[in-house]
Amino acid sequence: MNFQATIAMKISDLTDNTGEWLRGTGPESDIVISSRIRLARNVARYPFLSRANAKQKKEIEGLIRERIRESEITQDLFYINLADVSPVDRLFLVERHLISKEHAGGEGIRGVAFGKSETTSLMVNEEDHLRIQVIRSGFELRETWKTIDEIDNKLEKKINYAYSSRFGYLTSCPTNVGTGMRASVMLHLPALGMTHHIEKVFNAVVKLGLVVRGLYGEGTQVAGDLYQISNQFTLGKSESEIIEIIEGVIPRITSYERMARKALISENREQLEDRVWRSYGMLKVARTISSDEIMHLLSQVRMGVNLGIITDIEMKTLNELFILTLPGHLQKLEGRELTSAQRNIIRATYVRKRLEKIDSLQ
Amino acid sequence: MKCESCNKKHATVHLTEIVGSVKKERHLCEECAQNINAQLTKIPSPTEILTSLINQVAPEINEMSKVACPVCGISYLDFRSHGRLGCPMDYTIFRKGLIPLLEKMHGSTQHVGKVPSKAGKELIKKNELMQLRNELNKAVEKEDYERAADLRDKIYELSGDNSNED
Ligand SMILES: [Zn+2]
Ligand SMILES: [Zn+2]
Repeated sequence: MNFQATIAMKISDLTDNTGEWLRGTGPESDIVISSRIRLARNVARYPFLSRANAKQKKEIEGLIRERIRESEITQDLFYINLADVSPVDRLFLVERHLISKEHAGGEGIRGVAFGKSETTSLMVNEEDHLRIQVIRSGFELRETWKTIDEIDNKLEKKINYAYSSRFGYLTSCPTNVGTGMRASVMLHLPALGMTHHIEKVFNAVVKLGLVVRGLYGEGTQVAGDLYQISNQFTLGKSESEIIEIIEGVIPRITSYERMARKALISENREQLEDRVWRSYGMLKVARTISSDEIMHLLSQVRMGVNLGIITDIEMKTLNELFILTLPGHLQKLEGRELTSAQRNIIRATYVRKRLEKIDSLQ
Repeated sequence: MKCESCNKKHATVHLTEIVGSVKKERHLCEECAQNINAQLTKIPSPTEILTSLINQVAPEINEMSKVACPVCGISYLDFRSHGRLGCPMDYTIFRKGLIPLLEKMHGSTQHVGKVPSKAGKELIKKNELMQLRNELNKAVEKEDYERAADLRDKIYELSGDNSNED
């Protein structure tokens, strides 16, 4: 286990590839990008982080880091102390979904452990002492639960979690108490967005006690027609029951999206194809592209690939481009901090090169 | 064609909106189309939801306003204004204030999920029983009596008695 790997090297290694959850494989992966579960846990007999002093935070961090190391969760797990890492590197880890925005912006001693596949990550001293996260490609919440449950079982043998029989796993925020579980599914819903039916989906989902969010969780803006649907309640239902509720609603949303796509095609095929091809063309020729614009263009092209309009680009490449063209990634790629105008130029160049490579292979 | 929203840029986004049985065409520039999408998808964050819930369960504030946790020092009012608890003990100390809040938030105040193995076999059994009872209620509601009988047998087996405790 590379627990002491040099951080700068490890983060640079990551820029060459992306996590397995972006492969674009798995059930319903034309619409469901990924399935993710996170568990919130705290160590018994310590205050939650908002009330912990520096000494306690250090103790908690040391204890959890050691227990993670001993538990041999995955072979190649390594640990990054976030206080040692530059803001750009932290942004990069957020864009990778390896840490949360809150964890990146937090203060004091805190860290994250993750493996090479980027399927599992363990955030230490986030809002709770420990947050375990597992992400998989496609619609695979059950598998995801199995993996995270096993990791949690390994850790609970070594860590005394704060727990009560009445309230379950005790968390700093009462919105997470009980199972401490947030299960979410990331969906690409361009046609429902285009036809303005997305609101109906929201209404239906909210009635089930689920919430809809943007790409990067809490309060983030929706971009690229990417939505995360997750459970709001964590108490009074078992992990299985919560997963069942989400599992029940996703197929309805995906078939609704497919219907909306079909309707767009049958109403005006030429117009839809034109939109898709224009977006693809823009990605191939533009000299400067903002982050908002690229999300929109990639979304159109992704739908075009799903509908068989565009056939020369792989889903994996498209999924990756959503992440690789984000500000933190571009700055890592260039190895320096960039202004937004500079990023727009580098973003356009990067995408053009990736797509030229595809053209030259034909 | 000009964008019908800003009337300046060229309309490149053509939306078909269906309201009831009426179909409406909209022609917008990229920018305006994205703005419209952003407006449609404004979602309250969990913290916003939490704050509004805390404010909804205000009545118990008088009783709880003087309570503070002897372990971490946080007062109930601190919790109300920041939405974060200070230590695991707060769930016991602020129980009175938390229960209506949890009820509103989760629709329940009793954990039925996973039990850490360290918490002991008794607790695991208790939770399993609770879950089986939930399922039994559901089965009865659905008038699935075969399943209900099955579940009842399991409950007897697990609890080791035939008494009808609730
Ligand atoms: Zn406009
Ligand atoms: Zn306390």
